[in-house]
Amino acid sequence: MMETTGADILVNTLKDEEVDVIFGYPGANSLPIHDSLLKSQIRHYLVRHEQAAAHAADGYARATGKVGVCLATSGPGATNLVTGIATAYMDSTPLVVLTGQVTTSLLGSDAFQETDIIGITMPITKHSYLVNDPCDIGSILKEAFDIAKSGRPGPVLVDLPRDIMAAKCALGDTKDTPSRVKSQPREDQYDEQLRKIASYLNRAERPVLLIGGGVKLAQACNGLARLIEKGNIPFVSTMMGIGSVTASNGFNLGFIGTHGNELANRIVHDSDFILTIGARFSDRSTSIVEEFAPLATIAQIDIDASSIGKVVKANISLVCDIREALAGLIPLVEKKNRREWLDRIKREKTACQNTAMDECGPVGPFIRNVQTALPEATTIVTDVGLNQIWALRSWQAKAPRSVITPGGLGTMGFSLPAAMGVQVGAPDRAVVVFSGDGGFFMNIQELVTVTCYQIPLKIVVFNNGNLGMIRQIQDLFYGARFCDIELGTSKVDLVAIAKGFGIEADRVPVDDAGAGIQRMATSEGPFLLEVMVPPDNYVYPIIPPGKSNIDMISGRQG
Amino acid sequence: MGIQERILEILVSNKPGVLARVAGVFGRLGYNIESLCVAETISPEISRITSITNADADFIEKVKKQLGRLVDVIEVTEQLPGQSAQREMILIGMTLNQKNRQETLQTIGMFDCKIISMRNNYCIIQVAGSREEVETVISFLKPLGIDKIARTGILALQQTKK
Repeated sequence: MMETTGADILVNTLKDEEVDVIFGYPGANSLPIHDSLLKSQIRHYLVRHEQAAAHAADGYARATGKVGVCLATSGPGATNLVTGIATAYMDSTPLVVLTGQVTTSLLGSDAFQETDIIGITMPITKHSYLVNDPCDIGSILKEAFDIAKSGRPGPVLVDLPRDIMAAKCALGDTKDTPSRVKSQPREDQYDEQLRKIASYLNRAERPVLLIGGGVKLAQACNGLARLIEKGNIPFVSTMMGIGSVTASNGFNLGFIGTHGNELANRIVHDSDFILTIGARFSDRSTSIVEEFAPLATIAQIDIDASSIGKVVKANISLVCDIREALAGLIPLVEKKNRREWLDRIKREKTACQNTAMDECGPVGPFIRNVQTALPEATTIVTDVGLNQIWALRSWQAKAPRSVITPGGLGTMGFSLPAAMGVQVGAPDRAVVVFSGDGGFFMNIQELVTVTCYQIPLKIVVFNNGNLGMIRQIQDLFYGARFCDIELGTSKVDLVAIAKGFGIEADRVPVDDAGAGIQRMATSEGPFLLEVMVPPDNYVYPIIPPGKSNIDMISGRQG
Repeated sequence: MGIQERILEILVSNKPGVLARVAGVFGRLGYNIESLCVAETISPEISRITSITNADADFIEKVKKQLGRLVDVIEVTEQLPGQSAQREMILIGMTLNQKNRQETLQTIGMFDCKIISMRNNYCIIQVAGSREEVETVISFLKPLGIDKIARTGILALQQTKK
């Protein structure tokens, strides 16, 4: 009998799309899918909260460059994915999100475990589908994968009613509608814009490259390194651009914005030409737009036309795949020694070292010691807040996919589940989680997943008993009127908790952590290191709310 | 200020949910859709949405780009003033009485409107024409007591073939 079910077609299409791994959590309305998955080689990782499934698929995609896949049931299962989907949307991660749905005859009737997940996720997905014919599922899924990874990547949701998954489709009846995703033709002004950009680069006296997350997404890191080398051009990154070029590259000035380092913000302010590649000028990078880079002509290259000129006016723009654009640009760029500009930057760098605004306190050396103790091939996953900035400023990125952070949405609780996905996707790398106590408790249930699958994560939890970044903001800008930030986590025995979850753990003070770091680095399986940090350890410089990038402060004012 | 009426012609896949997505783009940016017309084109898989919003040039560029990102949107064109033919059809419900009957019937005759229904002195008047014509009829009939108006919204097509 040449017949197959909707769920079988789904699973076969996943195989065709080279999916090896799905992160999920079952429910009544997604059971047919789980049943079909059993017949395949696709590994299903059972998380302990659907939000973790979305974050794990996100981490997996960021680590591998492949499309991440997660699966949840209808109703609360689907709504639990929402934060994870929004996180992936903001950082342009390619995801295919599969959700079970109630039987088609019950749609819209407030049935048990029914929600309009397509309606709920409309603003945070690139596209979504409600499947109502099993014979369509193959074409729909293929198109979903295409959309997820093409152009500016992002999450695509496919809603799968239970009866459709169970329904039969004769093999001859499967529809083969071609995907609507077509390659973007070059814009008419492509050559002219490239020439203009090259001309500005060649003539500029104080040029800077601004690197965003898009370079990694385009797999254009090699091209970028060649451009920097050929043109002798100093560069800064946005938070999402960190890692595109090895941190130790001599032209690296750091990252810009609210929590960037002093040198990066100062140099951008003094620059006369900024070539922005794959960055969208988020408010975190630009602070006050009118005061951003006041002396600079700005050129912007991005694959997404809607990012060009959305925040900062781009004097020259090119809508194009970044890899292609860099390949076209490099031959046009002249080798220049830029002696004057580079000397000036050196002087600024020394001046910044003297003002010593860049301050991560004792956490800085701690993180550097962790990096020394671990293999070269290590990927870090940060959470959000002080832990994130400490990690991004102290860890020296050595490879493009080695620094993973939820920059766009700033989702606390991202790090542990995302790191699970990273480790599953990159089993040969060591994976370190840098989290605060706040974010860690948000998805702490995933320690069960870590234990059950023996995912060998090295989990560092900075415990300062508080919501640290908020404490800093209340301290500096709200007259130290602390409220609603004491998490009580210093009263709780995190080491005992981890051990209760079956995970080896240790506790160290941040300034005497050597033994703990060693234990963690030499552990075979998962390990949790609780690092006690005084609550008034903050991160500097910081830009006060409503101020521009140049108004960095390094301590309490007055 | 640059804020003026902007007519956007959006060609989309004729599928459920597409209109919601398109409307979502405007709503998210905080802008109101003043008029909206949507129906199948000569190809049944493609629908044409004709929308009017009041905005400045910057906003319209933003909206066009964000609409362009939607998978179901095939093409977005701004119809420039003077280059598009525009029409609207409205139905007006009115109760005819001693005081307004004569003038109403005169107006209807003058502007070539049609009475398409009459029950117990409640009539439905059909008015179709350019935006100015339609507004003129409304201004004539309003003082006579309009009960309800149902409008199609502005239909517009470029006058030159692309």
